[in-house]
Amino acid sequence: MECEKVRDRFSSLWEKELTPSEEKGIKDHLSSCRECQREFERFEKTMRWLRSVEELEVPDEFVSGLYKKMEKRKRMASAERSRKRWLSFPLPLKLPVQAVVMVAIVFLVLYLTKMMPMGVYRPKEAKQTSSPHSLEKRPEGILVQKEVERERGPSKIAPGVPRPKDVDRAETSAARKENLEADAPQIKGEAKKAEEPAPKTEVKGYRTLDSREEARGRALSREPEKFEKELLAKKKSVVAAKPSQEIVLRISDRDKAISQLRELVKQFKGEIVTTGENGLLASVPAGSFSEFRKELVDVSSGDADKGAARKQTAEGLGSLQEGKKEAIEGKGREPARLVADEGSRVVVRILLVQE
Amino acid sequence: MKTSPRIQREVIESCKAGDERAFVEIVLQSKKKVFNIAYRMLGNSEEAKDLSQEVFISVFDSIKDLREEIKFDSWLTQITLNHCRNRRKYLKRRKYFNSDSLDDPVETEDGDMMPKALYDPSDSPETLYEKKMVQELIQRGLQKLKEDQRELLVLRDLQGCSYEEVGELLGLPEGTVKSKLHRARMDLKQVLEGFAH
Repeated sequence: MECEKVRDRFSSLWEKELTPSEEKGIKDHLSSCRECQREFERFEKTMRWLRSVEELEVPDEFVSGLYKKMEKRKRMASAERSRKRWLSFPLPLKLPVQAVVMVAIVFLVLYLTKMMPMGVYRPKEAKQTSSPHSLEKRPEGILVQKEVERERGPSKIAPGVPRPKDVDRAETSAARKENLEADAPQIKGEAKKAEEPAPKTEVKGYRTLDSREEARGRALSREPEKFEKELLAKKKSVVAAKPSQEIVLRISDRDKAISQLRELVKQFKGEIVTTGENGLLASVPAGSFSEFRKELVDVSSGDADKGAARKQTAEGLGSLQEGKKEAIEGKGREPARLVADEGSRVVVRILLVQE
Repeated sequence: MKTSPRIQREVIESCKAGDERAFVEIVLQSKKKVFNIAYRMLGNSEEAKDLSQEVFISVFDSIKDLREEIKFDSWLTQITLNHCRNRRKYLKRRKYFNSDSLDDPVETEDGDMMPKALYDPSDSPETLYEKKMVQELIQRGLQKLKEDQRELLVLRDLQGCSYEEVGELLGLPEGTVKSKLHRARMDLKQVLEGFAH
């Protein structure tokens, strides 16, 4: 038997699949052929090694890892399903939905970009409105601001020249802020102010703007003097219309009496509002009014009229405080402001009667 | 066949009905067989573990399509072999096997490098090599064979399948299985001899 044919039967010989005659023939060859015998020994050894291979143990984390993978697959599968569901939508249904979403996004962006600048001012306003008094005072501040702007407007900008929006907006917001800040404490501290002496130089009985705002107005205006005059005239007219006290003095020399009254008013840190033929209108601090009235009696020439100094109007100093509250709560904003301002100063009409 | 115990028909039916406990039982009973086939086919335990998990996921997904519960073992082996073929292709594309050549020294599980000159099948192997080393040699030798040869050796000599089962799994007639198997064994012998030279 040829060596090649014998070597082809090694597996069958090793597996004992050969017939006895076949097995005998191969074994005879192996005993006679040293080379084939060595080959079979090597084959046998390889087979013995191959069959001796043991099974490996599965790693411990095999099952837990399997569950993790299965969970991950489930999530991915559900995501894929939802994606495919959308893709499988018919185009006539999908297109309008996409279009609507696009339009909605565009409108949202436009809305947001438009709202952005307003959002800058809102927090300030919200801060102001947190006080109950400021709720009352804010529109007034806006009114005053408008008034100031109306007065400033023609002088500031030449006709036909467009006003820069940014400057306008900045001024408006700044003025509004100033007003709001100034007005809120004005109401809170009314009772306190009634006792305090007023500042020296300016008439403040019926002020609509505080000193800061006025100073700002002057600074911004190109014709500060004109503006101030107009403002003063306005104030005076308001004061003249509503004096809170009226005192009759009997005098012999009118000029002398007026000069005395001027000095007296100055002495009490008050101010002469108007001087007429029959008398004058003065504004004095409420705290020193009683003393001022006593001094007025000395100016009078006759003793008889010492008792003639009397109250003409219903608003006394005490009733002023109550009136203020009512005005704030129920009446219009302008009267409310006027009454509130009366608290700090008393306007006195002094009637001069020639003896 | 020195594999996991045969899975009961009821368990397979329960698993087909979607019972996860039945699936767990199948996993526990079959994981060793699947893992060992994968390990011998791929030559790496991490890859084998990952692939075995993939196999069981495939089983869970497709067991409802299994018509004959009695052929579950063959079906499972077939899925495992398919996964192994795909994985080897994938790894081959990634040059995973390129560093491994016949001239490389054999690395044992302990990390010791065994000089190939020490290997001599004509010497008494029991005295020269530990059992572990022999297994490592076989493992490395298997990786040097062609894929179909490796499959034959793994199924017949390591898993103990009959010629008929091997023929069914590989779609080969019994005679072809025998001849191919002999060729594979002779090649393995040659590979092992190659380690010595």
